[in-house]
Amino acid sequence: MKRIFKFLSSIKLAIILLIILAAASILGTLIPQGRSLEEYTARYGMLSGALIKLQLTTLYHSVWYLALLFFFALNIIVCTLTRLSAKLNRASRPKVESEAKALQALKNKDRIKRNAPLQAAQAETVARLKASRYKIRTSAAGNRVSLLARKRIAGIFGSDVVHVGLLVILSGGVISGLTSVRQNLEMREGQVVSIPATDFSLRLDKFTTLYYPDGSVKTWISDLTVLEGDRTVLTRKVEVNRPLNYKGFNFYQTSYGYNWDSPAVEIGAKKKSDPAYAKKVKVKVGERALLDDKDQLTVSVVRFLPDFVLGEGNQPETRSLQPNNPAALVEGFRGGEKIITGWVFANYPDWDQMHSANAKDKAAPTDLVFQLKSFEAGQFSVLEAAKDPGVPLIWIGCVLVMAGFGLAFYWPTWEIKAVFEETLGKTDIVLGGLAAKSRESFAVEFEAVAADLRRSK
Amino acid sequence: MSESTLFGLAFILFCLAALVYLAFQFSKKSSLANVGFWIAAAGLTSHTAALIFRTISSGHAPFTNMFESMSFLAWAILLAFLIIDRKYKIPRIGAYILLIVIGIVALASTPLMPKEATPLVPALQSYWLWLHVSVTMLGEAFFAVAFIASIMYLTAKEPEKKDKMDSVGYRCVAVGFPLFTLGGLIFGMVWAYKAWGTYWSWDPKEVWSLITWIVFALYLHTRIVMGWKGKRSAIIALIGFLAALFTYFGVNYLLAGLHSYA
Ligand code: HEM
Repeated sequence: MKRIFKFLSSIKLAIILLIILAAASILGTLIPQGRSLEEYTARYGMLSGALIKLQLTTLYHSVWYLALLFFFALNIIVCTLTRLSAKLNRASRPKVESEAKALQALKNKDRIKRNAPLQAAQAETVARLKASRYKIRTSAAGNRVSLLARKRIAGIFGSDVVHVGLLVILSGGVISGLTSVRQNLEMREGQVVSIPATDFSLRLDKFTTLYYPDGSVKTWISDLTVLEGDRTVLTRKVEVNRPLNYKGFNFYQTSYGYNWDSPAVEIGAKKKSDPAYAKKVKVKVGERALLDDKDQLTVSVVRFLPDFVLGEGNQPETRSLQPNNPAALVEGFRGGEKIITGWVFANYPDWDQMHSANAKDKAAPTDLVFQLKSFEAGQFSVLEAAKDPGVPLIWIGCVLVMAGFGLAFYWPTWEIKAVFEETLGKTDIVLGGLAAKSRESFAVEFEAVAADLRRSK
Repeated sequence: MSESTLFGLAFILFCLAALVYLAFQFSKKSSLANVGFWIAAAGLTSHTAALIFRTISSGHAPFTNMFESMSFLAWAILLAFLIIDRKYKIPRIGAYILLIVIGIVALASTPLMPKEATPLVPALQSYWLWLHVSVTMLGEAFFAVAFIASIMYLTAKEPEKKDKMDSVGYRCVAVGFPLFTLGGLIFGMVWAYKAWGTYWSWDPKEVWSLITWIVFALYLHTRIVMGWKGKRSAIIALIGFLAALFTYFGVNYLLAGLHSYA
C-alpha cells in the first residue's frame, strides 16, 4: 500500500505519464480521427479493424487515453497533497532557531563583528531588513538570538496553485464530456423553434448576409428573439464570434444555407432572327408569367436546381445546396400551346439547349432562346445551440494556472537568517541567505544588507 | 514612407546588426555588442512601423496569412532577444538570432508567399485574434531564444559560458511557458468557445500546442524537481522548440486536410 502511494506521488510517474500522453497525442494527429469505416478501410486496409478495436480512431475519447488522464490527475493530487503539509508548516510555523555553523554552509553568507551590544545590533538588523520588506521573527536562547527574515512566502505555493488549476480544468472537462449538449438549428425568417428541455423558444426575425466587395462573405447576422410562452423576453443580433447567452444556453451563428423551395427566377428571351429582341420576366417555380404581350408568349419554370449535374441514368439532379451551377427547366407557350422546353443555365448564358416541345420535330431548331438571368432564394440561418456546464470550471482553472505561474516564477521567496551572539559588549552577527528562485538578484540584495550592517556605527 | 520601404529598411538594419554581432563574435569588443544591439533595435522599430502601417491599411491584425504571420514571428523573436539581452547580457547569441530573423523575413518575402491582405472570414473577425496570436507568438519567440541558448550550451566548451547559456535557457522558458500557456492554450480556448461553442475539439493544431506545452512542463519538472541541468535540460528545450515549430508550420503543411480553421 505504502509503495503504491509512493509511486503515485512520484515525479517519475508524472514524467512517464507526460511522455506517454505526448506520444499518444501525436499518434492521434497522424491517424485521422472519427472518420467512416470505409475511409479507414481504404486507407489502412487489413489494419483498420485493429485500429478501431484499439480505439485509435477515436483516440482522445478512448478508454485508455482517459485512463492516462485519470492517473495523471491522481498523480497530481497525491503529489501535491503529500508536499502541502510540509509547505504549510514552513509558511506558518517556521523554525526560527538556527546554528551559526549551519548558516555558514549556505550559498549566501557573511559574518559581521559589531562594536555594540546585542540589542542594538539586532535592532539595526531588523530595521535594515524591514526596509527591504522582510517579515521578521526572532527567538532568544541564553545569550544567543536567532532571526528569520522572509519575503514573498506565498511564492512557495505557486506550483500547488498551478496543479490545483490543472485539476479544476480536468474536472471541467469531465463535466463537459458528461453533460454538455449541442444542437444544430436551421432557421428561416419568422420561424420559431422551441429549445428542448427548457421553457423558452427562439424566433428568427431577420437574417442578413453581408459581403465584401470581392463577393466573399463578410458576416451573417441573425436577429433573434427569445420567447417564453408568448412573452418576448429579449431581442439580440447574433453574429459569428458574438453568441447570445440565455439561461445557460449559447446560440452561435455558424453558417447559412439557401432555401430552394420556391426561388424566384428571372427568365430572359432572345430571338436568333432578331438581335434587338430582348424580354425579361420574373417568375416563381411552378408558376407561369407573361413574357411578351404581342406574341402572346408566356413562360413557366418547372424545376430549379442550384447545383446541376447529370446523375444516374442521365437524370438531372443537384449536387449540393450551394448555387454552384444554377439551372432552370423552362417551358415556353404561345397562347395555350407549348412550343419550346429545355434547361437553361445561369453560368452558361449561351448554352442553347432549347428544343421544340412537339415530340415530332424535337430536332428542329427554334428561333426563341431562353436565358436564366438571375434567381433569388431565401437564405436560412444555421445556428448552434450549446449548453456546457463544465465551462465555468475551465475558466476558473485557467485563472488558477496563470496565477500559479505568477507565484512560481515571479514571486520568489527569499529568506535571510541571522544568529547574534554577544561577548563583552560586542556582537557577532552570522548571516545566511536562501533563495530557490532569482538567485542573482537575491545575492545582490543580500550583499547590500550585509554591507549596510557592516557600515552602521 | 510606405510599408514596404519600412520593411526593406528593417531588413537592411537586421543584416547590418548581424554583421556587427559577427564582428563582436570574433573581436570580443563589448562596444561592438552595444552597437549591434542598437542597430537591431532600430531595425525592430522600423519593422514595428511597417506592421502598424499594414494594420492600418488592411484594417485587421498583421498575422492573417503566412507572409504576415512569419513577418510577425521574426519581429517577436527579435523583441524577445532584445529583452533578454538587456537583462542578462547575451550578445554572443546575437548573430545567430539575427541570422534566424533574416532567414524568416527572407522566406516570408519569397514570391511563394501570398502577400496581399485578404478580407477576413467571419470567424477571424474578433479581438481574440490579436490576443491569441500575438501572445502565442511572443511565447514561441522566447522558446526560440531558449533554443539558440541550448545549442550554444551544447556546443560551447568553456564552463563559464555553458553555465550562462543554461541559465539563459531557463529564463527564456520561465517567460515563454506562461506566455505560451496564456496565448496558445487559454486564449485559444476562450476564442474557440466564443466562436464555435467548444473550448477544445482535439483539432491537430490544438493537440500539437498541447504536446509543445507538455514538453516544456517536462523541462521544468526534470529541472526543478529532479535537478536535471545542463545537457539534458538543453536537449528538452530543443525538442520543445521543434514541437512549437511543428505546431506552427508542420500542422498546416504536413497534416493538412485534417485541419480546417475557418
Ligand atoms: C503538465 C502538467 C503540469 C504543469 C503545467 C505543472 C506545472 C508546474 C509548475 C509551474 C511548477 C513550478 C516550477 C517552478 O517552481 O519553477 C511545478 C512544480 C512541481 N510540480 Fe508540476 N505541473 C504539472 C504536472 C505535475 C505532476 C503530474 C506532478 C506529479 C508528481 C507534478 C509535481 C510537481 C512538483 C513535485 C513540483 C515541485 C515544486 C514545488 O513543490 O513547489 N507536476 N509544476
